[in-house]
Amino acid sequence: MQGPIPGFRLFLVIVLSIALVVLDARFGKLDTVRSSLGTSLSPVVWLGSVPDELTTWVKSLFITRDDLQAENETLQARLLILERRALKYAALSAENSRLRELLNASGVLDDRVIVAEIVGVSPDPFSHEVIINKGSRDGVQVGQAILDAFGLMGQVLSTSSFTSRVLLISDSSHAVPVEVNRNGLRAILLGNGDINNLELVHVPDTADIREGDMLVSSGLGGRFPKGYPVAEVASIEKEPGEQFIRISAKPRAHLSRSQMVLIVFQANVERREERLNDNLSDSDTDIDAVGSP
Amino acid sequence: MLSVISYPVFGISIILSLVLSISLFPLGWFEFRPEWLGLMVFYWTFRAPAQFGILLAWCLGLLLDVLEATPLGVNAMAMGLVAFLVLTIHQRLRMFPMPQQCLMVFLLLGINQMLVHFIKQVLGADNAGFGYLWPALTSAVVWPFICVLLDNLNRKLG
Repeated sequence: MQGPIPGFRLFLVIVLSIALVVLDARFGKLDTVRSSLGTSLSPVVWLGSVPDELTTWVKSLFITRDDLQAENETLQARLLILERRALKYAALSAENSRLRELLNASGVLDDRVIVAEIVGVSPDPFSHEVIINKGSRDGVQVGQAILDAFGLMGQVLSTSSFTSRVLLISDSSHAVPVEVNRNGLRAILLGNGDINNLELVHVPDTADIREGDMLVSSGLGGRFPKGYPVAEVASIEKEPGEQFIRISAKPRAHLSRSQMVLIVFQANVERREERLNDNLSDSDTDIDAVGSP
Repeated sequence: MLSVISYPVFGISIILSLVLSISLFPLGWFEFRPEWLGLMVFYWTFRAPAQFGILLAWCLGLLLDVLEATPLGVNAMAMGLVAFLVLTIHQRLRMFPMPQQCLMVFLLLGINQMLVHFIKQVLGADNAGFGYLWPALTSAVVWPFICVLLDNLNRKLG
């Protein structure tokens, strides 16, 4: 009943697919199509997170009053500790900005964050991506940094209206510019497809780096905000003949366990770009002014 | 070929397979997750070749592309290929005993995975060895259950 048609249909489908792949991968023309398809698929993403939400809901049904009270007490104690730390932090940040003013350095603004929840993981086991429940409707943009309570998790790869896709720092195509917190030594931290292990590359074998050193984002490259903890140096291997030492680091963020994440909005980066554009347009008008008489 | 198929069962099975292919799965077992959508394309082209064909499989593959964030068209082409291969062999496939059907599931979904990973590597992904064939194997293992379940549902509701 399908006679010669299947072969023709297969041919059609293959030609269409190749055209789509080339358009998407080489020229990036299909982002709007992908985004709208992703928006229409958001019920599926939501359904995917239902079993998980159901188990937490059922668990919350069977929690006793005593447990809740105990939890409340520990939380209040923790709140006190954190508030004390925040007080100290406020004083420190005021002092820091005063010192920066003395140095004529640009002031550091606090980053604004919004909270999102992980609602799905990528079906492809060879890419480390998760899906979060905030999208372009909430102002999320491609390239924003994602944190959890312990450190940097990754960056936004693409957005649809209600969800966004986050590339984790452990993905083999991901790199973060970092510095050693102790002495400011700069390096690049690469993901290698292992969720518990990152690679610090191109560190000369005379560099001052030790096991247990904290690596924080350096803010170079302009994509990630400066000063968030990323990983901790786990092991260092020196091979006498090699030019660089082999360093593996353990990510601070709980990449495979965190449920709640923070999306960082960098106020100062946007402002700096605006200023840059203003300067450019200013120089344009200058040139015009010189050219016109 | 079934005498009747139930369209509600068809719709729900497709949505469920899409949900299963992204829902939270134990992390250590991630690479063994069956290729749910591939199984559904296999089942519905096998049981209802008149209604379910290459173009519909292609559209479903496109949805999987969006969910997986692969370049649009990669999974779509592979799904279309699976549907085509099932269409060419479905009359023989009905005569096969269950173990042989499982073998065919493994082969066709293996071809699907190979095509997907071939295109990804052409586009610059890492070489991941033969680990990508695990989903085809687990799909072959769950095939008898899926097949019996969907057959029963079709008979009851169709």
